[in-house]
Amino acid sequence: MALLEVENLEIAVSSKGKLLPIVQGVSFDVDDNETLGIVGESGCGKSLTSLAIMGLLGGTTVRITNGNIRFEGVDLLTLPEKDRRTIMGNRMAMIFQEPMTSLNPVYRIGDQIIENLRQHENLSYAKARDRAVELLTLVRIPNPGERVDSFPHQLSGGQRQRVMIAMALSCDPKLLIADEPTTALDVTVQKEVLDLMADLQKRMGTAIVLISHDLGVIAETCDKIAVMYRGRVAEAASTADLFTELAHPYTRGLLNSIPFVDRDIEWLEAIPGRVPTLEEELTGCAFHPRCALATDLCSLIVPDTSQFKPGHAVQCHFPGKVTS
Amino acid sequence: MLAYSIKRLLTLIPTLLAASILVFLFVHLIPGDPAAILLGDTATPEEVAQLSAEMGFDRSLWVQYMLWLGNVLQGDLGTSIFFREPVLSVIGNGAETSILLATMTMVWIIIIGLPIGILSATKHGTWMDQLTSSGAMLAASIPTFWLGLYLIMIFSVYLGWFPSSGFPSLSDEGGLSNLRYLLLPSLTLAAPNAALIVRLVRASMLDVAREDHVRTARAKGLHPSRVAIKHIFRNALISVAAAFGFTFAALISEAVVTETVFSLPGIGRLVVQSILRRDYPVIQGVILIIVVLYMVINLLVDLAYARLDPRVSLK
Amino acid sequence: MNAVNFLRATFKGRKLATVGFIWLCLIALAAIAAPLIAPFDPLEIDPVGRLAKPGWPNLFGTDHFGRDTFSRAIYGARMTVIIGMGSVIVALVAGGAVGMLSAYFTRLGHFLMRGVDVLMAFPALLMALVLITLLERSVYNTILVIGIVYATTTARILYGMTLKLKGEVFVDAAICSGAGHNSILFRHILPNLVSPLLVQASFIFAFAQLQAAALDFLGLGLPPEVPSWGNMLSEERIYITRAPWLLIYPGMLIVLSVFSMNLVGDALRDSIDPRFKDDIAGV
Repeated sequence: MALLEVENLEIAVSSKGKLLPIVQGVSFDVDDNETLGIVGESGCGKSLTSLAIMGLLGGTTVRITNGNIRFEGVDLLTLPEKDRRTIMGNRMAMIFQEPMTSLNPVYRIGDQIIENLRQHENLSYAKARDRAVELLTLVRIPNPGERVDSFPHQLSGGQRQRVMIAMALSCDPKLLIADEPTTALDVTVQKEVLDLMADLQKRMGTAIVLISHDLGVIAETCDKIAVMYRGRVAEAASTADLFTELAHPYTRGLLNSIPFVDRDIEWLEAIPGRVPTLEEELTGCAFHPRCALATDLCSLIVPDTSQFKPGHAVQCHFPGKVTS
Repeated sequence: MLAYSIKRLLTLIPTLLAASILVFLFVHLIPGDPAAILLGDTATPEEVAQLSAEMGFDRSLWVQYMLWLGNVLQGDLGTSIFFREPVLSVIGNGAETSILLATMTMVWIIIIGLPIGILSATKHGTWMDQLTSSGAMLAASIPTFWLGLYLIMIFSVYLGWFPSSGFPSLSDEGGLSNLRYLLLPSLTLAAPNAALIVRLVRASMLDVAREDHVRTARAKGLHPSRVAIKHIFRNALISVAAAFGFTFAALISEAVVTETVFSLPGIGRLVVQSILRRDYPVIQGVILIIVVLYMVINLLVDLAYARLDPRVSLK
Repeated sequence: MNAVNFLRATFKGRKLATVGFIWLCLIALAAIAAPLIAPFDPLEIDPVGRLAKPGWPNLFGTDHFGRDTFSRAIYGARMTVIIGMGSVIVALVAGGAVGMLSAYFTRLGHFLMRGVDVLMAFPALLMALVLITLLERSVYNTILVIGIVYATTTARILYGMTLKLKGEVFVDAAICSGAGHNSILFRHILPNLVSPLLVQASFIFAFAQLQAAALDFLGLGLPPEVPSWGNMLSEERIYITRAPWLLIYPGMLIVLSVFSMNLVGDALRDSIDPRFKDDIAGV
């Protein structure tokens, strides 16, 4: 039994009286201490998937319409609200893309971490405060004893993201979901934050689901990768397998458009066409209009997800054709 | 914070002076001889001439302004034509009523407006939200005097629960129970203002609820009511606090009508009667005091702002 | 923009606001067609039939002079519309001009806006009372006074909005193509301000009604011979127990009209340019 099991997840938005599916048939697993990377273009549904797992879709027009999400064996979708809340911030935590606005500006950062601690653990304020200082030290905030009383606006973006990490890891969760944690940060700061996360993972044994549109970041840090396109998982495999034997044309396209430093490239190959909007209805494979290898079959029938190799799933009628 | 307050008070001074000039000019804008106006219709020509010389009305406007300002700063706001007493003491007599009325009204506004506003925001999209929003807008559309008249009719005349007019001082017999004279008036005054607060709280909270830090709070597994109060309302308070200050200031002028309806011996009724009686010194004095009060409230609002939002620096 | 489309877009899905708009149209109709619709002369006294209950032929009963309340109410609608629109025009023209020009000509603007700040130190009703003291009671003066009171907030709002617009690219483009001040103000900036001005107008209309009614009630507003809803309340106030209908009808009319205007203003506000949403004061 994996730590997190997502099976056939389907998320839809209600628009003008109709239900438009945004995410369909998404399945993946995450084991203890493992890092899964979810990569894809903007709008492919990766953020929504992460919010769905975390249980943060309530109160919006977006709903889970099908599928299963199991965490530590427990079915999250049928779990009552208040039980769900004992997991959130405690066994499963999340950090977000915009560190500048993710912290409440009117409370001190220490108090915000303490709030999480006291919500899930029976600690006195003093003990929780000590723990908060420890956590700030752990995420390498200088002068943690003083900084614990700072307000968010007194910290830089990178520092705020570290505080978010400290807050997320405060109750020692088994799973950390990181939705584009470094996208809004400077490149140098990005590396620091990613290194920090890797380090913490080693120390605390947390599994991580890392979401990004940057394949380079994913490649460096993840054990497994799931490539999403327009609400579906195009390909999912271990990092090694994905880069050596990729099987889906979209993955090929993504790799081709990365400017590798160690190669002499004249043209950056872009994938032709554009991502279709939500309202545009498609028959068949979502990628087929942009796929160089598409056939009539691809335009008519949605491909099944098959096991190209053990542990390597692909949703394509001709898996592997792109590399042969 | 003290340094900031002093600095702000200093910047207020030019505005205060400008306003005082307007107030001073008020008497002089009235057609007719200012001395005759100040003394009223019963004055003889000799009295008028004497006052003219005393007050320096034959000298230039600037000199007169200086004299007037000098008097004001020493606490002499002139003499009431009608009461033949210093304006300051006439106003002082009405102060107790007006201050108590305003305070009671603010209490109602807070205990009625805030909870309903919060409720409306948290139940956004449901029938309860629709009901309270429309209800609030309706309440804000009711003229206070009309509401007052009907409250009198129902609660004083038919039910006899509350008195319909007057207000004996708290120091008279009855003591604190005399506050019941202010119950209906304060409710009347509170209704439309509470409605505005409801709408403001609701709008601010709905805006804040969309912000990222609220999502973070939810991700920590906090109870929804804790999120609503500590993370949404607390942040919305920043915008709402300013409105509270201005509401209090607005109460001062709106009280005019309520005091008239309920025959309360407050400053509002004093103003209206003075206008009808052409008691210009009193009108002038009241306006001056109210303007100063308004500006002090502005300052307090700024300070409150800085206190509620750590991002605002007191520079 | 097509007027019908504009209306449809604004009121779509908002039942209450639509009803409010219809009510306002009825009021406007009553105001315009008053002489034709009113069954009686609003000033005609009938000492015999005083304080009659509502029924036939006096739909709303008669007042203490025996005048037909229903006819007075219809003529009162006329006052409502006149005072409302008059105040709006004064406030928008005076306040709008000051606000726009202050933002456009910044040096003059700083000076002007300080002046506006000083005026805003005087609470609304109080300012109205003070101004009324200086003038005699008449329809024009009431409009003028209330208009000036709301001109200050309008100036502030227009100032903020014009500043925002001034910083937009299309103004720079206009300057580059040699447009003069007049042209930029009237052909480029003003059209963008039309919809927020409309919203502001509706809220001023609503508040003006309440102010006018309060002034009438205090005996400082319209002259007593003019039939207005506020005057009706003021005059009949002592008959509240003997003839409650005399106060219910005018009062309800005021409430419904102000409520309708607020609803319409709210609906308009939601459909205007989101840039300006925070600038508009109001309910």
